[in-house]
Amino acid sequence: MIELSNIVKTYLTGGVETPVLHGINFTVEEGEFVALMGPSGTGKSTLMNILGLLDRPTGGSYRLAGQDLTTLDDNGLSAIRNKRIGFVFQLFHLLPRVSVLQNVLLPFLYTEPYPPDAKERAKSLLQSVGLGDRMSFKPNALSGGQQQRVAIARALVNEPSIILADEPTGNLDSVASGEILEIFDRIHREGRTIVMVTHEPDVAAHAQRVITLKDGAVATDERRN
Amino acid sequence: MSAADIALDVTTSRRHRAAGLRPVRLLRLARHAAGALWSQKAKAFLMMIGTAVGIMLLTAVVGLSAGVQNRINQITAFFGPRSIMVFAGGGHLHGAGGRAEAGTTLKLQDAQAIQSQYGYEAVVAPGIFSGDANVKAGGVGTQTHIVSSTPDYSEAFDWYVQEGEPIDSDDERSMARVAVLGATVATNLFGAEDPIGKHLFINNVPFVVKGLLTSKGTSAMGFDQDDRIWIPLSTGMNRVFHQDYIRFIRLKVRPDYQVASVVDQITQLLRQRHRIVPPEQDDFRIITPDFIAQRVQSMARTTELVGGALALVALLVGGVVLMNILLLSLSERVPEIGLKRALGARQRDILVEFLSESVLVSLFGMILGVLLGLVPVLVIPRLFPMMPMAVSWKTFAYAALFSTGVGLLFGVQPARRAAKLNPVEALR
Repeated sequence: MIELSNIVKTYLTGGVETPVLHGINFTVEEGEFVALMGPSGTGKSTLMNILGLLDRPTGGSYRLAGQDLTTLDDNGLSAIRNKRIGFVFQLFHLLPRVSVLQNVLLPFLYTEPYPPDAKERAKSLLQSVGLGDRMSFKPNALSGGQQQRVAIARALVNEPSIILADEPTGNLDSVASGEILEIFDRIHREGRTIVMVTHEPDVAAHAQRVITLKDGAVATDERRN
Repeated sequence: MSAADIALDVTTSRRHRAAGLRPVRLLRLARHAAGALWSQKAKAFLMMIGTAVGIMLLTAVVGLSAGVQNRINQITAFFGPRSIMVFAGGGHLHGAGGRAEAGTTLKLQDAQAIQSQYGYEAVVAPGIFSGDANVKAGGVGTQTHIVSSTPDYSEAFDWYVQEGEPIDSDDERSMARVAVLGATVATNLFGAEDPIGKHLFINNVPFVVKGLLTSKGTSAMGFDQDDRIWIPLSTGMNRVFHQDYIRFIRLKVRPDYQVASVVDQITQLLRQRHRIVPPEQDDFRIITPDFIAQRVQSMARTTELVGGALALVALLVGGVVLMNILLLSLSERVPEIGLKRALGARQRDILVEFLSESVLVSLFGMILGVLLGLVPVLVIPRLFPMMPMAVSWKTFAYAALFSTGVGLLFGVQPARRAAKLNPVEALR
């Protein structure tokens, strides 16, 4: 599903080159649930941005579902983000001015052609995360855990190949975190590929595979059953 | 991932690129933008004020222009589009409807000379207008206008007899005391009776009613055109008003000839007959529909120019305010832009969303401005009937054009800035 070979990322700030990732190599199979760990400043976020096509690597190649993405322009990358990738952020990133349902429908704003069953898909996803009775609410009327469930529904609505989650429980209490992780477990069981950044070991415990970064390189890559 | 899925990926992205600005997508993004504006109504209102003021002024100016054009059309229609009036007396005319000073310089011989030289190019009807003549019939007396003119009067003014007979050349030759009445005079003097064959006195000279003119109603300038009596010119000059000069020569240019060249020819002829060598001033005035149109237009032009300039300034100021509010609010919306990029928005989509907001806000400003601008357009002519103002399709066309222009012109920089944001930094 994801094939990274020798991904290098170097930032140029004030004429000084700061290397962040030096040659990342790993492959994620379809249906895997991978936790990405490591101390802060090791390039986790940079790697996630590259995986999410929000940033381009300085070197190396990235294939998603067999397609080489290094040659695509902004329009092409945007289309892949829209159809193939679902994002879940630490700070939820919901649009405060529109309803919960409209938030879930937001990706379809950029989907061509617009699916005729968009609303039904969004509604059934909201029901599946237990928010069937909150669809017309504004996001700020919901608790943090509920907001993150809306964000998960939004990430799933276009039926992406992979879900990229950046510390999805980092802003939640333990009860809400538990609920969110249950949902991730469920969508993993449904066969989706998940890559999740976290630095909490008990969150990482939900994944079957933990990749640890250190100083911009893969330090450990463990699978468990 | 199957081969079919990979193919889907490629086609999806290709379709995405080819999509460009498909109308459906544009509409979807514009609707989303309308929602964004609705959620910040106070700010949207501030953004539209400048456009509203500019469009208000523009509406008023276009309303004035349209009114002036209407007035010109009315006057031209009233005057006759192929007509020329030669008046006695020189000097400048003040305003289109300005009254000619009394002049005694125009003679019947001038009209006869024009008739004999250019009679094939135009119908020529010389005459005298006399206001406020005393008219009596039976015990009833009234005041009315007397037009003393030749049999060509009917053709020259397109004004024919409806009942009875017109003034003919025998009447003209014999200074007959016969009169053709306008509808108003007929009613005033004879009520419902048939006036034809009846007697009346004009300034104590007895006349017989010969015919009735068709009714023309009230003119564009607001006077009753049917309040008049037509008598032969020879009778008027010699029996009623005792004068050896005429007041006007009316010409109606025949279809195959040019109004302007007839004007040139009779100007030359009259100058020659009156021994006038430019730069000496003419002792006659020639008025055409073009001349009147120019007069009316030049009266309105200053107002149009000042109003138009103010409208333009208001639109520019409004546009700059719009742009700055958009730029300021951009910083609050950086996370939103980052999110949308992550969800698959292309740079162009963000550009379209932000441009839609600025164009929509300008269009709302336009609606407000047109509504406000229509108030003076509708009210002023009621209060001051001399101020011509009219609602015209041009009002809406210009308003739409200028407000869309402002929205695009001043929205493009903030929109470009939004579109160019780095999604990684925007999401931070």
